[in-house]
Amino acid sequence: MLEIKSLYKRYGKFYAVEDLNLSIPEGEIFGFVGPNGAGKSTTMKIICGLLTATSGEVYIDGVDALRQNKKIKEKIGYMPDFFGVYDDLRVDEYLDFYASVYKIKEENKKKIIDDLLELVDLSHKKEAYVDNLSRGMKQRLCLARSLIHNPKILILDEPASGLDPRARVEMKAILRNLKDMGKTILISSHILSELAEMCTSIGIIDNGKMVISGTVADIMQQIYSKKLIKLKVNDKLEEAVTILKEFPFIDKITTGENLIQCGFDGGDEDMSRVLNTLITRGIPVATFAQLDGNLEDVFMKVTKGGEEK
Amino acid sequence: MMMNPVLLKELKVKMRSWKAAGIIGGYLFILAAVALFITYANANDMYSSTINPQFSIGAYSGIAVIQFILILFIAPALTAGAIAGEREKQTLDLLLCTNLAPRSIVIGKLLASMSHILILIIASIPMFSIVFLYGGISVLEIAQLFGFYIVTAIMAGSIGIFFSTYVKRTIAATVLTYAVGLFMCFGTLFIAVFYIRIFYNYDYQSYLPLLYLNPLAGFSSLLTTQFGGQYANIFNMIPGLYMGNAFTYKGPAPWLINTYVNIGISVVLLFLASIKINPVRKSLFSFLKRK
Repeated sequence: MLEIKSLYKRYGKFYAVEDLNLSIPEGEIFGFVGPNGAGKSTTMKIICGLLTATSGEVYIDGVDALRQNKKIKEKIGYMPDFFGVYDDLRVDEYLDFYASVYKIKEENKKKIIDDLLELVDLSHKKEAYVDNLSRGMKQRLCLARSLIHNPKILILDEPASGLDPRARVEMKAILRNLKDMGKTILISSHILSELAEMCTSIGIIDNGKMVISGTVADIMQQIYSKKLIKLKVNDKLEEAVTILKEFPFIDKITTGENLIQCGFDGGDEDMSRVLNTLITRGIPVATFAQLDGNLEDVFMKVTKGGEEK
Repeated sequence: MMMNPVLLKELKVKMRSWKAAGIIGGYLFILAAVALFITYANANDMYSSTINPQFSIGAYSGIAVIQFILILFIAPALTAGAIAGEREKQTLDLLLCTNLAPRSIVIGKLLASMSHILILIIASIPMFSIVFLYGGISVLEIAQLFGFYIVTAIMAGSIGIFFSTYVKRTIAATVLTYAVGLFMCFGTLFIAVFYIRIFYNYDYQSYLPLLYLNPLAGFSSLLTTQFGGQYANIFNMIPGLYMGNAFTYKGPAPWLINTYVNIGISVVLLFLASIKINPVRKSLFSFLKRK
């Protein structure tokens, strides 16, 4: 549905996007993750025809988006990270305006608007003035606006930013609904864990470059090729470290107060052998566990701390 | 035919606000004050007969001049924030990513402002009816006047739209629009006076082409043409600035050429604004870069 090949965007000597490649099949939700200023919004604006690319190719549903800009606008629904609303327009009038922009027939408008308001749970605010809505409601209205022409692909730039926890949950529920409706969605966030549970695959971008992409499981596998073991001893910390060093499949041993963390490249039998050896040789082991990679750790690891540019 | 959605939305929003009613009310108040003053002055003139055609010409020119000045002030104010305001409110990107052509956005914004001007002009018709009480002015002449108002308003509005697309802030766009408007009204006049004084002294007996850019000169030419050059020429005091005396001038009426020039300026500025607003536009000077 969306294919990006070797995309570059340069401002003077600075590359906002550099050699970006991406492919999203139809019906998938792709999470675009990266720290602020990583190039997410720039990439999304290029896809939507709001910015020109320095070079590269973007195809949406087989149409060259960079050269046939007008043709792709019907296929895209875009929700920017920051947006405003018109004063003195009611919720239904706001959607009616965008329906007119997309030349939706007068007789179909009412049903489409009612359906969309129901989808984003704003039916009860139909006659309220847009300016008086809460931030979460405005975000949902903007999402409804991006769906007014029934686009094939949705480009959502940080749709949950600035929302309170409840509004975030509501937004996630709407996005799951859209996924069930078969929409292809490209959604960005700077919080990996926020996207991991709802996206079919994710890509982490940093300094304009795609650092890693794939399913969440694949990414974890790539980042943590070795397992991590964490153990707590009540005493004999140095002796325990000496024993661990005897095993060839254990490395990168670090210690804290009665705590040991190390890399482990063995199987389940090796794991039980390590524990058994420690206990047999009189080490008072309090806890012994294998660590799962934390999503935020992954993000920090691949984005080098996620510092802003 | 489907109405331009931007125009439709703007009409809905603008007419809903108190600002619209305030502008119309203030506008009519000023015109009514001028009309009443002229009527009062005539009623107290002991030498005037009951029906004085000179009164109608005076009343007509008085109301026409005030209305023209008001339009020149209002038109840029309505358009200078049209696109810059969308940018400031962060609604422009939402419009640009739709399949609405940039030219439709620009024209929709201009037409919305012009419809406001049109309402002001229509609302002023009862003021002009005073003139008909005394005779001397035909309906055709009033139609010419209103036509000139609309074309001038479109030109002034186009300058506003142009700066609104090229400058990011509404305030800056408004200042630049008024600066250009002032230059067109007074700058060209000063240049014309100096040019004639330096190169022709008092013998210049033609219409300086530079003044085709000047809306006041065009307006003055319209009134002098309508009155045979005897009345209402606001530039009579400037020696050598010929404004088109209907009895001696052989060429096309300057106000007519002024109208064509205004239309030309509007088309060019709106075209440039449409190009500028398009985020994936090709640079006008891209051929130079290639070289």
